[in-house]
Amino acid sequence: MTPDFESVFELLFKYRPFVFEKGRFVVGSAWPAAAILLPGVVAAIWSYARARGAPRRADRVVLAVARTAALAVVALCLCRPGLVLQTAVLQQGFVGVLLDDSRSMRIADGGKTRSEFASEAFGKDGALLKSLAGRFKLRLFRFAESTDRLESAADLTFEGGETHLPRALERARQELSAVPLSGLVLVTDGADNGRSGEINDVILGLKARSIPVFTVGLGRERFDKDVELVRVDLPSAVLKGTSVTAEVRVAQRGLGGSKVQLLVEDSGRVVQTQEIRLPADGESGAARVHLTATEAGPRAFRFRIAAQPGEPIVQNNQQDVIVQVADRREKVLYLEGEPRFELKFARRAVEEDENLQLVCLQRTSQNKFLRLDVDDAEELAGGFPKTREELFRYRGIVLGSVEASFFTADQLRMIAEFVSQRGGGLLALGGRHSFAEGGYGQTPLADVLPVVLEEKGAEPFFAELKVEPTPFGMTHGVTQLAATEEESASLWKKLPPVSTLNPVRRTRPGAVTLLLGRGDALTAPQVVLAHQRYGAGKSLAFTAHDSWLWQMHAEIPLEDMTHENFWRQLLRWLVGGVPGQVGVSVSPQRTAPGTSVTVMTTVSDDTYLHVNDAQVVAQVTDPKGAVRDLPLEWTVGKDGEYRGTFSAREKGSHAVRVEARRAGKSLGSDEIQVEVADQDTEYFGAEMRRPLLERIAEETGGRFYTPDTAHRLAGDLTYSGGGATVQEEKPLWDMPFLYLAIVGLLSSEWAYRKRRGLA
Amino acid sequence: MGALLQDPEAPLGRLRQGEPPSSKADRHEFHFTRAVYSGYGFGYSRRGSWAVDYPKADRQFLMGVRRLLSHLDLSGDENAIPLDDPELRRFPFLYAVEVGRMSLSESEVEGLRSYLRAGGFLVVDDFWGSDQWDQFEGEIRRVLPGCRIVDLPPDHPLLSAFYDVKELLQVPNIGNAMRGETSERDGYTPLLRGIFDDEGRLMVVINANTDLGDAWEWAERPEYPLKYSTFAYQMGVNFIVYGMSH
Repeated sequence: MTPDFESVFELLFKYRPFVFEKGRFVVGSAWPAAAILLPGVVAAIWSYARARGAPRRADRVVLAVARTAALAVVALCLCRPGLVLQTAVLQQGFVGVLLDDSRSMRIADGGKTRSEFASEAFGKDGALLKSLAGRFKLRLFRFAESTDRLESAADLTFEGGETHLPRALERARQELSAVPLSGLVLVTDGADNGRSGEINDVILGLKARSIPVFTVGLGRERFDKDVELVRVDLPSAVLKGTSVTAEVRVAQRGLGGSKVQLLVEDSGRVVQTQEIRLPADGESGAARVHLTATEAGPRAFRFRIAAQPGEPIVQNNQQDVIVQVADRREKVLYLEGEPRFELKFARRAVEEDENLQLVCLQRTSQNKFLRLDVDDAEELAGGFPKTREELFRYRGIVLGSVEASFFTADQLRMIAEFVSQRGGGLLALGGRHSFAEGGYGQTPLADVLPVVLEEKGAEPFFAELKVEPTPFGMTHGVTQLAATEEESASLWKKLPPVSTLNPVRRTRPGAVTLLLGRGDALTAPQVVLAHQRYGAGKSLAFTAHDSWLWQMHAEIPLEDMTHENFWRQLLRWLVGGVPGQVGVSVSPQRTAPGTSVTVMTTVSDDTYLHVNDAQVVAQVTDPKGAVRDLPLEWTVGKDGEYRGTFSAREKGSHAVRVEARRAGKSLGSDEIQVEVADQDTEYFGAEMRRPLLERIAEETGGRFYTPDTAHRLAGDLTYSGGGATVQEEKPLWDMPFLYLAIVGLLSSEWAYRKRRGLA
Repeated sequence: MGALLQDPEAPLGRLRQGEPPSSKADRHEFHFTRAVYSGYGFGYSRRGSWAVDYPKADRQFLMGVRRLLSHLDLSGDENAIPLDDPELRRFPFLYAVEVGRMSLSESEVEGLRSYLRAGGFLVVDDFWGSDQWDQFEGEIRRVLPGCRIVDLPPDHPLLSAFYDVKELLQVPNIGNAMRGETSERDGYTPLLRGIFDDEGRLMVVINANTDLGDAWEWAERPEYPLKYSTFAYQMGVNFIVYGMSH
């Protein structure tokens, strides 16, 4: 109901709608009414039946009804109608007033800041405080990350980094559980950083205890102009030098279609600038930003859009993401079933990459292999690994043109488990003996690969392909070959055709196609590069068999690095996010001082079977250099998962290094960073969340107000029905509406007669 | 010096003049590609010194390679390409003979430079003595100014890419072999040298004072000593395996 409507309603019906909602309608004795109504009706009908001037029958009916209706209203008044209400006893009931003390209250989006309303209305001389205090005993609370009792609104600081509405309501309810509670007053903008669904439980609890919540929503429901970086998705750990694509989700108000600059900073230094077009009003859009992690260690990337003119808040224009940039050499095993130039040029492409070790096993003749870039004489001496320990030491596997029958059934299963259990990356290359042509259709790898293996054709297949990225591939970390999408698209257009020997048309459900190939010999586009998640790992299919032409073709300038970049990005992406034996994560990774941080670690042995009997210790180094050991305990609920919690008190970076040992032997270690700083989460989704506040009020039997209507709050609370109440009957016979009805009906009767010449 | 092909009626090798592979027969992974270059002297069918032993040596070598590298998808046909043909870069393995008679045009210099810098692998063979060395060195320095030509040590991976070659033999042409001689001109010591790029990758393998091509060509002749043809095949196979992996 709008305030205007409520004012008119109160004028006509004497009380506000809320009173009618809460009250029970009653009438007194009907005898006086009947005594008047019946003779009156008879007299009215009789008089109009005998009326002079020969009125028409319709006129008689209209006039009789008008007169009868007027008499009925009079009769209703004589019945002494009323509303029975449970009215709070003055100064007997308690009211808890919860004031939002978070930073989003500093937003000035309604002529003044939200905090000013709270301070003024509930300050020492605040009108709202006075009107409530005149009827109830008040208990003030402040709430943000935590909830505390408050002596006076003057003690509010509006420094809270987060808001937890459910915890605030629950805390107030518990604290006031021993007193007659008339209701709770919640003064907030509705921002809630609590876990999803928590509020539902709290509402149910309040409802069950008949505690109404009266909510006062502060701030505007829609900003005129605002840009918000809703989310940034970026891998949490990458290899040094890896090009990654960040997906940046942007929302806006009043700036639909505008172009803005998105800046990416690495520890304060701008590393990428990209112009993006904001989505249309009411929509959120995603921009993909290509950037390279050039320096090792924990890197704090800040994604930022410059403040736009007229924005009430700018803190939500940026998001910080921590990425662990590792400077280690990841081993990839490349098995090639025949001498192929693809191997030579793949090696050549990545040999300068200090973070990739492409260990090659190339079959040159029957039972004769060439080993390249092995660590020692023992590595791969027996050919392709035959044990999990031997195979799972690699982070990625590349299968070249090698037939499925080369492997034993155990080895094929092991490769599948390398992906699904170990979490490794598998890349299958096109070739004479690859995919269906290699007989993989009926092997465990058929499910692992992201493409559908069709029946092998009777004739050898050959098709020349002009390769182009799909819309998703345009900005993917593997296939975006230049700093900008446009430059990358231009590079792809210039690349010469390659060819394939494997007709691959379809991907598996859930797979993502990055490159397509078109050619005269093809009736449908060829899937050239696709990937999918499979279990804990991922698989890729690259169906061209001579990508080295992107290096050797006569049209490719000598200085062109496209082929090198493609293979580096491909292999880096292949091993990106592949876990070690010990993997650590923290929640939250960015948090406010004093927050509890949970360290979660997954521990496996060298066959990547989870281990439940390891000694796992997290060493936490705070920004001042103080070190403490935090033993992590097996969670029991999940194999190989260990957990512990510490409180991050100091502002700055906390380094968390976890090591797992078993039987005196180290199983591995991992590290991560926790960033402790004042958080800006309050400024995200900072428009007043009216639907949530209305829901809390309606479901608990309370009412929602804005600052303009909050002056009615105290009056309404009186009839909430909670706390110390007495039954009170409110007379309705003197409602202005009834008098107006009587006057209106009689006037209508007179006017009608006049108009019809019956007066 | 290599002997000329004896059968003038043998079919000419296909010369790929700017044509990409178009038939199934052309879609092989490996083509034994011979460099067609400008120079002095004559080879098969008065084509020039590049065509010495051509195409019999190529074909016969490929027959052996097919058997020895059983998993290599190779074309059994010879494949001769001019150095200034843009299509040259489609064939990352290149063989050149009689390079002591090489006298490259500017376009050939450019073509070979582009080929090597892009990642092509060149094996030169069958040139003898100091004069021919000087001629070759002069030409290759036009292609790769400032390059260093170094002896490949006995433990270089090239010599163990497929076969473990322990000893470097001087492979004679068939005429000398039947006379019991091995050297020509003043090339008494077989040389195995290489040119590396800036990243240390072997680009050019130089077989001087030896004639591997003749050993391939006459491998079926009982009078040609088996040890030379065996050595030549081992070296040739190593060149291919190394050139396709390094």
